[in-house]
Amino acid sequence: MIEWMVWTPPTALVFAGLALLLAGMTVWARISPPVARRGFLRIETDRGDRLYIGLISAAVVLTVWIAVTDLSMWLALACALLVLLVIGRWG
Amino acid sequence: MTGRGADEISTTGATVAGGQVTGEVLTGDVLAGAAREAPGEQDASRADTRTRNNRAWFLVLPVVVSVAFTAVIPLMTVVNFSVQDIFSPTDRIFVGLDWFRSVTRDPEIRAALLRTLLFSAQVLLLEIPLGVALAVSMPRRGVGVSAALVLVALPLLIPWNVVGTIWQIFARGDIGLGGWTINNVLGVNFNYTLDSTDAWITVLLMDVWHWTPLVALLAYAGLRSIPDPYFQAAQIDGASAWATFRHIQLPRLRGVLTIAILLRFMDSFMIYTEPFVVTGGGPGNATSFLSILLSKIAVGQFDLGPAGAFSLMYFLIVQIVSYVFFTVLTRTGR
Repeated sequence: MIEWMVWTPPTALVFAGLALLLAGMTVWARISPPVARRGFLRIETDRGDRLYIGLISAAVVLTVWIAVTDLSMWLALACALLVLLVIGRWG
Repeated sequence: MTGRGADEISTTGATVAGGQVTGEVLTGDVLAGAAREAPGEQDASRADTRTRNNRAWFLVLPVVVSVAFTAVIPLMTVVNFSVQDIFSPTDRIFVGLDWFRSVTRDPEIRAALLRTLLFSAQVLLLEIPLGVALAVSMPRRGVGVSAALVLVALPLLIPWNVVGTIWQIFARGDIGLGGWTINNVLGVNFNYTLDSTDAWITVLLMDVWHWTPLVALLAYAGLRSIPDPYFQAAQIDGASAWATFRHIQLPRLRGVLTIAILLRFMDSFMIYTEPFVVTGGGPGNATSFLSILLSKIAVGQFDLGPAGAFSLMYFLIVQIVSYVFFTVLTRTGR
């Protein structure tokens, strides 16, 4: 039935990870409701906003990396995760 | 002279504004106080008595299902396309990030990205000042208001492909009024099917014709919301029309102009139908914007892998701009 969606293990893992992340954030929000605050992004964000901004920024890092350099994408992934972490913590 | 006038206006304007602001602040404070108290009471009563019934959220289910079918599942499929070389559902090869590498380094796609950004920049530079000028010169009261509104809004009512068809014929040198006039009356050789500059100008003018009214209507709405005392104060100070515009109208338009700029950027960045109808991306590559190139790769050549990677990059840019749009709209003043 889902043959037409041509799944591959890596993309399935990525989407499963995203789903888990969303579910995790929902549970976390139930346990301790998010608090909006202002960080170096200069706008009021709660942790969900920062996760979204962080994921988008991580995607930008990966895109620019693959567009300009042949260095390993694992290094790019490390940088992207670092960006995500920094935005999530201090954004 | 103008400088002195402007100074005087700004001080009087401030007094007027000050007078009003005190009133507003008072009511605002009262309201805010009431609002502050209300949730507190609710919280206190809610905390121990009964659990909240959230079953109304199930009413959102149809939207969730339809969005899943029309957006999320297709998007997942596109992600799957972008990492494979697909010949048929059963005959496909995993290629990792190769398509992303080739798409982001493809000179044709990079040129299309620059072209689209340039087009958006020119659209903004032309449409925003024109729209504001139009709004300022529109009548503020009387019968003229309705007439002006209808006239200005007319281009907005025409479907995209019809706008394309209108301009495709209008700009033709042989049977189009505009093209014929430029060629035979002005004596300038103009042919948008052969000359890339002419094609670019045609598409740009078409967008300006189609969408300046939107900016004008937004700006007009913004202008109408300025209280009359500002203009009366300016009049008493003998301010010139320019000083009134520069120091009273323009600052008060900041909000609507932000919306107008972001809306026009998004729309012009994703423009497809009109240039597709008028030039089809040509002559050569002159007007092949990102959307036109993407549809050529995806539908024309049926290269699902590169098209998938391309759409994800395109989606990322649109995503960022719409998030900025959303943030500016919902968080200004907070």
